[in-house]
Amino acid sequence: MNAQNLDNMPKVKKESKNKIRVEFDRTPLKERLKAKFLSMFFVTKVIIYIFRLVLLVGVSYIVLFPFFSQIAGSLMAPEDFIDATVRLIPKNFTLDIYKAIWTELEYITSFANTLFLSATAALLQTFVCSFIAYGLAKFKFKGNSIVFLCVILSLTVPHQTLQLSLFTKFKYFDILGIFQFVSGGGIDLFGTTVLEGIRLLPASWDKFTANGIELTNTYWPFIILSITGLAFKNGLYIFMLRQFFRGVPDELEESAYIDGSGVIHTFFKIILPISVPMMITVFLFAFSWQWTDNFYTELFMTGKDAPRLMKDVIEIPSSLTKEYPGQNLYYSAIRNTCGLMIIAPLVVMYLFCQKYLVQGIERSGLTAD
Amino acid sequence: MTKDVKLNAPKRRKIASLEKKKARAGWIFVLPFVIGFALIYLPIIFDSIKFTFYEMTNVPNYKGGGYILTPVGLENYYDALFVDPDFVQTLVAGLEKLIFDVPMILIFSLFMAVMLNQKMAGRAAFRAIFFIPVIISTGLMADISEQNMLMQTMDSAEGISDGTGSSAASEIVTAMDFQKLFANMAVGEELLNYVVSAINNIYDIVNRSGVQLLIFLAGLQSISPAIYESVKVDGATGWETFWKITFPMISPMILVNAVYTTIDSFTANSNIVMTFIDNVYNKQGRVLSSAMSWIYFLLVLAIIAVIAAVFSAFVFYQRKD
Repeated sequence: MNAQNLDNMPKVKKESKNKIRVEFDRTPLKERLKAKFLSMFFVTKVIIYIFRLVLLVGVSYIVLFPFFSQIAGSLMAPEDFIDATVRLIPKNFTLDIYKAIWTELEYITSFANTLFLSATAALLQTFVCSFIAYGLAKFKFKGNSIVFLCVILSLTVPHQTLQLSLFTKFKYFDILGIFQFVSGGGIDLFGTTVLEGIRLLPASWDKFTANGIELTNTYWPFIILSITGLAFKNGLYIFMLRQFFRGVPDELEESAYIDGSGVIHTFFKIILPISVPMMITVFLFAFSWQWTDNFYTELFMTGKDAPRLMKDVIEIPSSLTKEYPGQNLYYSAIRNTCGLMIIAPLVVMYLFCQKYLVQGIERSGLTAD
Repeated sequence: MTKDVKLNAPKRRKIASLEKKKARAGWIFVLPFVIGFALIYLPIIFDSIKFTFYEMTNVPNYKGGGYILTPVGLENYYDALFVDPDFVQTLVAGLEKLIFDVPMILIFSLFMAVMLNQKMAGRAAFRAIFFIPVIISTGLMADISEQNMLMQTMDSAEGISDGTGSSAASEIVTAMDFQKLFANMAVGEELLNYVVSAINNIYDIVNRSGVQLLIFLAGLQSISPAIYESVKVDGATGWETFWKITFPMISPMILVNAVYTTIDSFTANSNIVMTFIDNVYNKQGRVLSSAMSWIYFLLVLAIIAVIAAVFSAFVFYQRKD
């Protein structure tokens, strides 16, 4: 018995303290390769792999090609646009368009103003939305679902529908007629004016306050909308953050409450630190959508004394105006270059933050119920 | 003992007060929104509806500024629906496009999400590229790329196209190619045209499905791997796994995305109805444009209600507790 067993056992070739090398009959290499590569399983795998790669590369190409063509066009000299042999690679390489935009369109001023506006708005929105979302996600109170419904409503009504009334609201900004009242305009009650003539402010202020305060051409409309969670797509942020907070286990807060921490203190000390990836995601959305926004900025910032923003950078610099056959293409290239210079800061930011974007979304555990 | 517990009234009240306290805290958290909604948003909506029943004239600044409203009843709505020659046509075309676009974007983004969810080399890079449109192709950039003549010219020479061009030369496939291919298959001409137009609008579809892709991806990540494992042990194929596991589990996301896509595509600047309304706002009159957009909004709201009703009948919710 023992001897037989020993015969069947693989022969030990070399033995050290940690390793044993034994001799056994291995299937020949040819057989192994055959089994691995000539099976149906492998063939389908390769086909799926190639199909997937082609598809992904193709869609990536669709996403990236506009940028390639814009970059190529931005480096071309005016002659290249009428040269039939020039397509994607410029013949007369020049940086004139960039230089003209940089110097003539006050790029730096626009950049600084937009940076200030976007950073302020995005920070406020991220913070306020997480505040609201936390309240909706973790507290049961009467009217919770009604408030949430209002959030969704504010997301659903297209801002174009409210264009006119948004404009008049902030052009003649007044809350409950307070400004009208203090400057002696009385209070409108169902069409009749009562309490007229009570002045709390000197008459010299009337041109500012009689019809409400004019907030257009300032940053205030953006700040007010951000503080109240009503700015562009804030409903979406609240929705996303609410789903995220719902996934945070209640025990975390409960243990904090038992230790004597207040509700708001708990929010700042426990909840905010663990939701950083999600907040970065929301910040990234808010920042870049504010950065490239043209609806609100064109609505509120149209006057001559309005701060210069990125939307004002899309123009043909006067030194580049040129009458020649390729004019249309050339101007199109200039506009594209303006676009490239507008999004350049965003792309840089995106490269740094995209890791968090995916992480934040993945951890949100978005569910529809 | 039980009597003791029942008599222990103060303790019970204490619990109730804690709940009340929590409810109050909840109100504190949502207060910014409630205040803003009541004082700013509701008046804006109210104004916007009110304006549609009035004629609006601006008072010049030297006369004190402001505006005067004269009531005209339903005249603005009458003008929009019966006097304006193009509005109804644009509206019908816009709604038709909406109904075509939404399924396309949903299918595309679900497909891509499933693909990007698989483990493979370069997944992070592909994801980063796919999310670029979310960040960049909005507002100003959308405006610029709409007028991008240069790209079309660059394409047409090589015959490679991304589908943005409208000229015949830059179309990847034409209906003819497909008709040849499917000549013997009774798929119907409408379906054929649908697929062809989808392929030729691929650029548009990719650009508009970024957020949906993110939402689907998040949904796929939240499906427990244990389910897949047990199905695999039972011998299900990939196809079966998708339809029996992934699809039901992701169905709440499909509802969310269907509603979101509808909202997103009818508020987008590139939407033909919105462009038309914008033109009216700039040229004919602001009030008329408000009336038009309310008509449009009500129609789309009805569509969203129908979509939500239909989809929620098929949605599967996994109850965790």
